[in-house]
Amino acid sequence: MKKLAIISFILLVIVLVFLISIDWGKVAWNLHQMQNAADAEALSGAKSAKRVKIDLPAGSQAIPGIQQTGEPGLLPITADEIWVIAKPETPARASDSETPGSGAMLARIEEKEIPLPLKHTDVEGQISGYIATVHVTQQFHNPYDEKIEAVYVFPLPQNAAVNEFIMVIGERRIRGIIRERQEAEQIYREARRQGHVASLLTQERPNIFTQKVANIEPGKAIDVDIKYFNTLAYVDGWYEFVFPMVVGPRFNPPGSTDGVGAVARGTTGVSGQKTEVQYLKPNERSGHDIALALDIDAGVAIEEIQCPTHAITNATESPEKRHVQLSSLDSIPNKDFVLRYKVAGQTVKSALVTHRDQRGGFFTLMLYPPEDLQTLKRAPMEMVFVLDCSGSMSGKPIAKAKDAIKRALRKLEPGDTFQVIRFSQSASKFGPEPVPATKANVREAVRYVDGLRGSGGTMMIEGVKAALDFPHDEERFRFVCFMTDGYIGNETEILAAVHGRLGASRIFSFGVGSSVNRYLLDRMAKLGKGAVAYVGPNDNSSEIVDRFYDRISHPALTDVAIDWGNLEVEDVYPSQLPDLFVGRPLIVTGRFRGQGNTTIRVAGRVGDFTRQINIRTRIKDATHPGIACVWARKKIEQLASRATYDHSAALPREITQTALEYGLMSAYTAFVAVDSTRQTAGDHGVTVAVPVPVPEGVRYETTVRD
Amino acid sequence: MKRYVILSLILTGLAIMLLAPRIGHASRVIESKVRFAPVDIYLDSGSRPLAAYQFELKVTQGKVKIVGVEGGEHEAFREAPYYDPAALAKDRIIIAAFNTGQDLPTGRTRIARVHLQIGGDVEPEYELNLTVAAAADGQNCPAEIALERGERE
Repeated sequence: MKKLAIISFILLVIVLVFLISIDWGKVAWNLHQMQNAADAEALSGAKSAKRVKIDLPAGSQAIPGIQQTGEPGLLPITADEIWVIAKPETPARASDSETPGSGAMLARIEEKEIPLPLKHTDVEGQISGYIATVHVTQQFHNPYDEKIEAVYVFPLPQNAAVNEFIMVIGERRIRGIIRERQEAEQIYREARRQGHVASLLTQERPNIFTQKVANIEPGKAIDVDIKYFNTLAYVDGWYEFVFPMVVGPRFNPPGSTDGVGAVARGTTGVSGQKTEVQYLKPNERSGHDIALALDIDAGVAIEEIQCPTHAITNATESPEKRHVQLSSLDSIPNKDFVLRYKVAGQTVKSALVTHRDQRGGFFTLMLYPPEDLQTLKRAPMEMVFVLDCSGSMSGKPIAKAKDAIKRALRKLEPGDTFQVIRFSQSASKFGPEPVPATKANVREAVRYVDGLRGSGGTMMIEGVKAALDFPHDEERFRFVCFMTDGYIGNETEILAAVHGRLGASRIFSFGVGSSVNRYLLDRMAKLGKGAVAYVGPNDNSSEIVDRFYDRISHPALTDVAIDWGNLEVEDVYPSQLPDLFVGRPLIVTGRFRGQGNTTIRVAGRVGDFTRQINIRTRIKDATHPGIACVWARKKIEQLASRATYDHSAALPREITQTALEYGLMSAYTAFVAVDSTRQTAGDHGVTVAVPVPVPEGVRYETTVRD
Repeated sequence: MKRYVILSLILTGLAIMLLAPRIGHASRVIESKVRFAPVDIYLDSGSRPLAAYQFELKVTQGKVKIVGVEGGEHEAFREAPYYDPAALAKDRIIIAAFNTGQDLPTGRTRIARVHLQIGGDVEPEYELNLTVAAAADGQNCPAEIALERGERE
């Protein structure tokens, strides 16, 4: 017995000595590895990582807008969730060269100014025909005295085909690699943990992206260059180039976690959403500014240029070429940049643009409706107006939307019927069912619209149900007009509802505001076989309504079919061609084989008659390298649109495969770049979210969660 | 005495229980160990000025992921070269660049640096094939391509 006791005691001593001699740094590192495994598990769907929030001790100084991620591995935090977990060992402060008055970019906080890690965004675009190639450079720097990771949530056009990503460190330029998103995130996390300078670009929505840049050392700068292609909209004789500058604050229905949260600067996690945007308070100003320059080569003479949103300078190089520059006096990135230009000639002809490389032939066809549609009159209609009366619409946006509805009501004709539906937390309507467009009914409806105010949440699903869930009047064309800023985080749910309930309705979506959710509005219109229009703060809503009425006052070309002549055509998007409305061309893209001259014949029905458009074309070998990317992006868009209501596992796989093959961003792919040549000293430092202003005309108090 | 024995055994058991998962995890960590390192690609076009190139890099041994592509040392090829994303999906990378300027490199020059994530303890092996090297007149020029493990600062 005594022997056994001695042996046990010796064993205990050995174990204790072993415990004492352990390299605790290594244990911490191992625990970090365990965290990485947990992160991977969380990414793969089993989100088990525990979230910890530790308040800073009283009297300690934290950097506003900075989330300290602490010693590696000591707390289980997923890289995608930024939490304040510890106080920095040494409070970070701006270096002397970046103090106020030295020209650094600054944010004012209650009369105090602090620097932020995103200094400047530079946008350079070239427009050739109706395809834009845009380079966006985001200039990050570190004005603090310890390492940081910068996180910036930013918008791009909803149809941008992002196919290039370069991280710039001094003179060195490292091209990012497209990977499956989960893999790219793992590479980035590991590089960040090991102290390598790295950057990661992920897509949260087709028009919302997150840029992360890790291990920016004090005083150092790192740029990120992004390139994308997109096709321009052509509306009523005008081409339109749009560059969004800020993500508007989204409303997320209770219970959702996959949305986009809107939180006050310096706060994280309060929205409960996967993606969060931090907003500056009304009395705060970010020093982040933007420069934008555009070279337009329209191919034909440009008659007129308009920029309703910003001050610009405009230089004429030749009749068909212009150089446009954003004025330095208008460089605050708080609204969409919109540039419109009109080309010479009464009408623009349908045109085919092709490109051929080792992957094969690609084309885009801009298809214009036949001119004689304008001479035909429309059938009676049932017009349903759906007005977003949520908090984000309060003020100027709802005033513009109400003006538009009142104008539209007054333009209804005898024989038409109408309905007005409002929604915020819930939906209600003008009458129990659509009413005849008599003068008395219109007067009463105008009074009803006048009385509507903006407040509360954006339960858009209620508006969709109220607008589409009632029997269709077979005698009339039903048009449903959604008037909204689209500031919601549950786009997928809304698009699925529109698809499931559409029936014979046509949806026209009107985006109202300075920085609307164009992804949602465009997709609603496409699913609803209608069209989209945008009413900015400086736009005349009467003009836009008049143009809308002009469009729907003529019948659409329906049952559109294309005979491609000598061309062997496949993979055409959209796969089901929508109706063609007056003033609204359609862009069709696809792959082709064949060459030489051919005539493409487009046929459709107008009432009981058939109309045909002939497009004579000559196939050239290489005209625009962006066409292959535009095609792949359209394919991804169509697959993603289907995925909102079809939950087959094959769709994400096909999106991933297409995106990887063409080097494009998507919901399932991401760009990652790592500088493997150097490890910075110490851990990866603190995470700094880049706060942004609320869009012009949007009230902070009614949209951002403090 | 019996109490001391039981107490010692319990303490020993507890210590082993506490340590076992960490020791086990440490061995897993070694298995999943990754590091980042560059490889440099050199091309020697002799006396002819190099205007364009295309090469294919393939990993034949080891767990390697390409995490960035950087340009070369000469000004003419400093811009980050393009890669073929379709080829990358099949665990290889095809990189190409060209320059239409007058100031072009001759002799041996680093044309690209490929940044890698290397997993495990096995030292990676590579296969490097030069598809084409061309001079300013567009004619193919004989050239030698070589790979060197890049140095880390």
